[in-house]
Amino acid sequence: MDWNKFCEVFADCELLGNKILIKSRLHDVIEFVTDNYPYDMLKEIIAIHNQDGLVELVYHLYSTIDEENLLISILVKDRAESIVDIFESAQADENEIYDLFGIKFIGNDKLKRLYMPENWEGHPLRKDYVQDDTRLCWNDDNDS
Amino acid sequence: MTITTLKLNLGPQHPSTHGVLRLILELDGEKILSCEPDIGYLHRGMEKMAEQMSYIQYLPTVDRVDYLAGFFYSELLCRIVEQAQCVELPDKVRVIRVMLLELNRMASHILWIGMFLMDLGATSPFFYTFREREMILRYFEKISGQRMMYNYFVFGGVRRDIDYLEDVEEILSILPSKLDDYEKLIEENPIFRRRVVNKGILEKETALNYAITGVNLRASGVDFDYREQDYLYKGFDIGKVILKEKDSMARYRARVLEIKESMKIVRQALDYLKKSSPLEQKLINPINLKLPEGDYYADIEAPRGIASCFVRSTGEKEPYRLKWRTGSYYSVNLLRKLLVGEYLNDAIAIAGSLDIILPEVDK
Repeated sequence: MDWNKFCEVFADCELLGNKILIKSRLHDVIEFVTDNYPYDMLKEIIAIHNQDGLVELVYHLYSTIDEENLLISILVKDRAESIVDIFESAQADENEIYDLFGIKFIGNDKLKRLYMPENWEGHPLRKDYVQDDTRLCWNDDNDS
Repeated sequence: MTITTLKLNLGPQHPSTHGVLRLILELDGEKILSCEPDIGYLHRGMEKMAEQMSYIQYLPTVDRVDYLAGFFYSELLCRIVEQAQCVELPDKVRVIRVMLLELNRMASHILWIGMFLMDLGATSPFFYTFREREMILRYFEKISGQRMMYNYFVFGGVRRDIDYLEDVEEILSILPSKLDDYEKLIEENPIFRRRVVNKGILEKETALNYAITGVNLRASGVDFDYREQDYLYKGFDIGKVILKEKDSMARYRARVLEIKESMKIVRQALDYLKKSSPLEQKLINPINLKLPEGDYYADIEAPRGIASCFVRSTGEKEPYRLKWRTGSYYSVNLLRKLLVGEYLNDAIAIAGSLDIILPEVDK
């Protein structure tokens, strides 16, 4: 795959094997990649809460034509650009990440709590999540 | 004149939601204007749990990610550990795993046929398919001690040598005639045909955009089967099932044909195992097992689309982060699009045809 064109447009990217580390313009990068290269599927978005407090989002693109993977990785604090307008499947992933990591995706207005109850505080897969929450025993009368 | 629309909760206790899926439908008469899936009723925190367990502690729980295809998820976790420890599997272990995976795929598809027909209102096929699935489950019970949660694959190999091969032989000899029976019973039935032919058309572009994989994608005419590039299936002849019709009927046909193809793979594995010498394998010691720092990724073609596992290790006993990708999760998201413009009674048939299984969705 010819990455010269890509590196011309997005100069501040780092290429590591089949993983591209980007710093900003996530939406533009994904749009550019899908327009110019045969990646036709967003397999999944993986979120990892790093020890430094930032959340790493790894966009896993896949091409069913030449069976190649491409990973695009970005570090975010609490908000990221939504790519629902490019890949509809991102709706599922972004919603999950919103629920479990508390990342707000700008441009996605359908975000809601998915696995956790609507009034739940905190996002369980973050490393700073307090686990021994008294609400876990589902006692509504518990005032403490 | 004002149009009044009706909001209808389909599920979470509806029998055809295969567990606990809730669909919030907006209806105009019987026509669906919008669909909003609501999931999370079966959430067990599989990913959070992994961060507090060592790999060997976590291994028995992964069968529960999808309880109808447990082998696939154990295989994924084993594959991650084997990849990290640079272990190459002996040929016999590879063949044993392929045979069990394909039998599991057959059991899963056979169950789906019964479930799908029950969604459409035909209760008797459900009993027939359970009878056939039982043969496979009995075999699994004989070799692993469990009917559904096998815990048979271990890091670097399998729990014990394969046995009772005559049972597999019996399954392979009985099943073809049963599948013919299904075909006679189901496929020519005018009521069945009216509810599935040309219903729930899933275009190729939509399927890819919604990250649909597996049988659903192949029934929309996309030539993509992950087993082709899987090292586990090296040396096996894999017949792909690719259909062009794109409707619910195509998804039904694709699954029936895939059972037949799986049977051919099991036959190849069985022929190898009958002649093979006793199992020799080098298992990875799971006590104090620590994966070297780094990211690990594994995929597999599960019955409901590509399943994959991502692990980031920081060199500790527990994974720093573990994520599952499951096929059904994306199929549920597809319902937002696929059900719009359809009638309510077709909604159940279309949702059923995608083979959604809720433990896999909620994880």
